[in-house]
Amino acid sequence: MKKLIALLLAVVMVFALGSMTFAADDEIELDVIIAQYGPNTNEWFLGSGMDGTNFVDKFEAENPGIKLNLEVVSWNDLYTVVDTRITNNNAPDILNIDVFANYANDGLLMPVSDYCPEELYADFFPAFIEQSIIDDTVWAVPDLASARAMFYNVDILEEVGVEVPTTWAELEDVSQAIIDFYDGEIYPWGIDMTTDEGQAAFAYYTWGNGGGFVDVDGNWAVNSPENVEGINFALSLISNGYTNPNPATETRYDLQDMFAAGKMAMLIAPNQLPTYVADKGGEINMATAGIPANEGKTGSSVGVMDRIMAFKDDAAPDQAARNEAIGKFLTFFYAPENYVGWVSMEGFLPAVNSAVEALVASDPSFGAWLDVLATCQFYPAAKAEWDQVKQGVIKAEQSALTGADIQAELDALQAELGG
Amino acid sequence: MYTSFNRSKWTPYLWLLPSIALIAIFVIYPIILVFKLSFSEISKSGVVGKFNGFQNYIDAVNLPAFKTVMLNTLIWVIAVVGLSTVIGFIIAMVLNQKFHGRKIARSILVLPWATSLVIQASVWNYIIKYEYGNLNDILLNLGVIKQAVNWRSSFQIEFIWECGVGIFVTIPFVTFCVLAGLQSVDDSLYEAAIMDGAGFWSKLKNVTLPMVRPSLTVSTVLNIIYVFNSFPIIYTMTKGAPANKTDTMITFLYMLSFYDRKKGPATALSVIGFLILCICAGIYMFGVMRKEEK
Repeated sequence: MKKLIALLLAVVMVFALGSMTFAADDEIELDVIIAQYGPNTNEWFLGSGMDGTNFVDKFEAENPGIKLNLEVVSWNDLYTVVDTRITNNNAPDILNIDVFANYANDGLLMPVSDYCPEELYADFFPAFIEQSIIDDTVWAVPDLASARAMFYNVDILEEVGVEVPTTWAELEDVSQAIIDFYDGEIYPWGIDMTTDEGQAAFAYYTWGNGGGFVDVDGNWAVNSPENVEGINFALSLISNGYTNPNPATETRYDLQDMFAAGKMAMLIAPNQLPTYVADKGGEINMATAGIPANEGKTGSSVGVMDRIMAFKDDAAPDQAARNEAIGKFLTFFYAPENYVGWVSMEGFLPAVNSAVEALVASDPSFGAWLDVLATCQFYPAAKAEWDQVKQGVIKAEQSALTGADIQAELDALQAELGG
Repeated sequence: MYTSFNRSKWTPYLWLLPSIALIAIFVIYPIILVFKLSFSEISKSGVVGKFNGFQNYIDAVNLPAFKTVMLNTLIWVIAVVGLSTVIGFIIAMVLNQKFHGRKIARSILVLPWATSLVIQASVWNYIIKYEYGNLNDILLNLGVIKQAVNWRSSFQIEFIWECGVGIFVTIPFVTFCVLAGLQSVDDSLYEAAIMDGAGFWSKLKNVTLPMVRPSLTVSTVLNIIYVFNSFPIIYTMTKGAPANKTDTMITFLYMLSFYDRKKGPATALSVIGFLILCICAGIYMFGVMRKEEK
């Protein structure tokens, strides 16, 4: 009898194992890494933030045969996690991050045309797709965007009796008036030259002076006279005491906190600032305006865009099926019933046309921001040296804060870039 | 009774095997890997390429910030290890006296040690903040200062704060090492010294110091390693800003690898750091042990 039971058990186990391997053979597993945009990201993808269910469960239910190993990683660790996985030959299948050029240049990415269904591809804003092209190939698709504008505390400006500044000269006058009126208790202006986002400061003051990271031909031109003048203007705001006291270590979140507490009158911030201030319990009567530019120059809004990309996996047994699975993932993600909730959850701006109508209907202020987005400039993230330039301009700014000559610093960076 | 000679010889190693395996997998293998990487080309996204000799080391040493960072590391290690040892030693002497509430005092001392460094550094960030910092608040309310002070007005001052936090969190470890040593000193030695007419300083020099030297050695060597490798305080407080002027080697090589994406030189730097630590700890241990043998 015992022998019979043992035999039966063994047979059952063999079948169980057999069917498991069979299922695994048939199933496509996708390793997905998603950037954590805020407290809701995790809930939406893995918890119960998607109307009681989550992205992974809903996707797997609608797409049998595809299993998602989805991980939400904080921005602080994202680069470390991804780079370490690449070094260990364990790159994810799908990655959500901001940069893509290094991965594309190392031959790790698949062209978008390999996996993105045509209908979905046509839905992306063309201006966004253009930001992810290297050598005429599109390597990533935009997942969302945010745009920056100047926010100001309406009450402070009214109390002081000044107009909203549109030029640098006006910005200086308004700042001085605020300093005089409040006896230095309120910072007129906010500047972030930290390691986190000093490149944004570079963009604000160089684009507002007709300069920028690259020249008209798209070549690096970090040391142009316009750039030097622009950064010197920003530095003069700091040395005149118009800004937060420690721009090298005060991040934009510190600035947003000061603004939310009514300690800062004006700052350049992303479109999510009102949500951020409300979350902090601040009740600030705020409004937006264009980023001030130098006299005679046009200010340009700064757009920040993140991306989704797919890595090659030469070991995958069925490449066509894998590509199709990645395509299904994207189709599901950008489907309006999923995507609209995702974008509005953290207060971002959409990257596809099909989401616009629903978003504008739910929040009329979206319309104005979409107009801003249509005119804004992006970082030249498709250029291979972008990391070096980004860190280089931050170091140049920080050195200048400690007394170095910005012209010499930017000259040195430009020389490093080979021009 | 052992059944055979072989078994008696190999049994201890058999018991050690799990530990050796763990050390090999989690310590030795990564060290070998880093050495190998430091002689290889590594792309910006982390793809390992071919062998490139000492190029990564040359690139690392030629980085503009290299000298500043090395000098900072030296100041950081000497200041934090030196001052925390002196202060920790004094506190241990005090805590070794019999007084009411001694147990409470000892428990309070453990707190900074038991809290994670990231939290400690963040808390200090808030304490010295200009706008709503607790330090400014307290001093303003006490009337010590009339206007809020910018406690982080220059990078030199920021670095001093970082060293200060480093010292603050390291003191408990030294104190407990020394306290353990002090408690093992036989009271009769002090009694004999008093009989010979020894005063406070003489007792300290001739009895206390020689007796606690072994624990002091251990705490100093471990501290040099911990402090040299300490990442959270500087990363949380300044991220090395402005322009690497408050970086030490560890934060610098992290930023170099994951922000600047110069992974080759970063790996080379980590090997250089490893060798420096081996040499420092080696010299120190060698010197102290020779003294003890004498």
